[in-house]
Amino acid sequence: MRLSFVGFAWRNVWRRRLRTALTLCGIGMGIGAFVTLVGFSRSFEQAWLEMYANAGTDLAVVQKTFLNTSVDQSAGAVLARIPQIAISAPMVINMMAVTPEVNTLVYGWKADTFEFSALNILQGRRFRDGQQEAMLGELLAGSLNKKPGDTIDLQGSTFTVVGIFRSGSALEAGAIILPIDQMQNLSGMTGKVTAFHVKLKPPPPGISPAQWQKQAEDAVEKELPGLRAVPAAERAANNQLVLLAHAAAWGTSLIALLVAALGIANTMAMSVFERTKEIGVLRAMGWPRRRVMTLILMEAAALGVAGGAAGVALGWGALRVLGALPQTASIASTTLPFETLIDGLLMAILVGVLAGSVPAWRGAQLSPVEALRHE
Amino acid sequence: MSSPTTPGNGTAASTPILEVRDVKKSYECGRIEALRGVSLSVARGDFLAITGASGSGKSTLLHLLGGLDTPTQGSVLFRGECLSETPNGPACITLDIYRARFAGFIFQSFHLLPSLNAIENVQVPMLGGAVHPNHREEKARALLLELGLEHRLQQYPTQLSAGERQRVAIARALVNEPQVLLADEPTGNLDSVNSAKILEILAQIQQRHGTTLVMVTHDLNIAATAHRHIAMKDGQICD
Repeated sequence: MRLSFVGFAWRNVWRRRLRTALTLCGIGMGIGAFVTLVGFSRSFEQAWLEMYANAGTDLAVVQKTFLNTSVDQSAGAVLARIPQIAISAPMVINMMAVTPEVNTLVYGWKADTFEFSALNILQGRRFRDGQQEAMLGELLAGSLNKKPGDTIDLQGSTFTVVGIFRSGSALEAGAIILPIDQMQNLSGMTGKVTAFHVKLKPPPPGISPAQWQKQAEDAVEKELPGLRAVPAAERAANNQLVLLAHAAAWGTSLIALLVAALGIANTMAMSVFERTKEIGVLRAMGWPRRRVMTLILMEAAALGVAGGAAGVALGWGALRVLGALPQTASIASTTLPFETLIDGLLMAILVGVLAGSVPAWRGAQLSPVEALRHE
Repeated sequence: MSSPTTPGNGTAASTPILEVRDVKKSYECGRIEALRGVSLSVARGDFLAITGASGSGKSTLLHLLGGLDTPTQGSVLFRGECLSETPNGPACITLDIYRARFAGFIFQSFHLLPSLNAIENVQVPMLGGAVHPNHREEKARALLLELGLEHRLQQYPTQLSAGERQRVAIARALVNEPQVLLADEPTGNLDSVNSAKILEILAQIQQRHGTTLVMVTHDLNIAATAHRHIAMKDGQICD
């Protein structure tokens, strides 16, 4: 039977099956948390992107500040004069509780906004400006069991459900859309909007779409000092909700990964201690220090890979559960992005190697004679 | 028995393969002196037995000859080149290279790796080295066949008798074709039948391949089978 270096490392990992299994559980939980949380936040970002793409939004005009996105509604008149802009739509967005358990995104739109072009009204009709009427995404309507004619309470005000719509964006599928004036009242933002969504005219001959968009951005920022025009993709990735979701996901994941790393470090330290005499034998047979170190690092990396694979599977399962829960169905995608899968596995290997580096270094420093005398 | 500094087989003119020059080895900041000025010369192809009571320094000397340890004072030379922990000029050879290419070790307790079967244990010294994986397996198989273990290749150490384990350990020590074979009480854990068999194998290897053999033993009958025999007492060669 041929023995390979990798095979030897793998065999060493499985010598203490129970300890290895428990360590893998720890890594699996850490990577599972990472995949779930980061996957969740990326789904959230993706949903934003889909929302802009479906509506044909090219730019979002927002305030330059990070958290405050309150823009004076009068800016709409200025935007209408900018030659590159075909149409602009004011919008307000907020998160509100529809039941004690379910929070959802609530949009305020004008009844004639171009963004309705991305929606397919399945039941009922579009709302009218100035009326206490609401449209529900089909996902939310299903989970709340609402249909046109029913009512829904938001922040103490009652709205009549007039339409159920389908959207390509998971965010909108689980959202409520109100007339913008009603939303401004609910949010205490009279005369203010969160952003303007802008659709550009087609670029004239000889000007590329990118140049045209840049000209539009510059024109907006010149005409409306204090505001900035952000490309839709950037707005999807960098809006404050997405940024907070990413930050929370990475922060929580890193804590879980730290716990996983401690598990690997403990396992590898114990493994090196228990195999001190064997390391002495390897050194006596001519293995240089770096080869001993490589072996131990490879064992730690193998733990990382195996735990990472388990964690990715766990995370994928968790995302499916989140995608099925009414509280999170509007945000979570049940598909595991390839990027998150690769990140999860790379993170697992990195955690394994980092956690194994100190035991590996200590193992490699053992003197052959001292190691052989170890009991 | 020949003089400690006289090369083996009575050929005083032959080049020493191993040489120890006024070596001292102490532990615990000099409180324990394991070797106290030992000089020794071993000729190529010699079979040297080192005897002595526990604590006499015989194993320490073997460890220095095998490149497992470095002296506190004095030097150990292999083919005229000093053995050193780190690269130290053209006249020196590092301990890692010496152990990997030129020396093979056999232990009293065999020290086989329990997670590997016989043929895999023999391949371990070659892992990560320059030998092609296919060739590794062939070499290990050939050695185990030569040592009469053709039916035990797939057996794990716990499935082998003590004598078989020591034969696997010998194959492992030989797999890198060392010029020097160092054995620390190789029959210490064996019954008389297996001891005789192992000694016969070691003698055959020494004669067939011209391998220099240095063996530590407390058994004077075993030491008598060597070409040369030195006895140690209190960290010095006494006869």
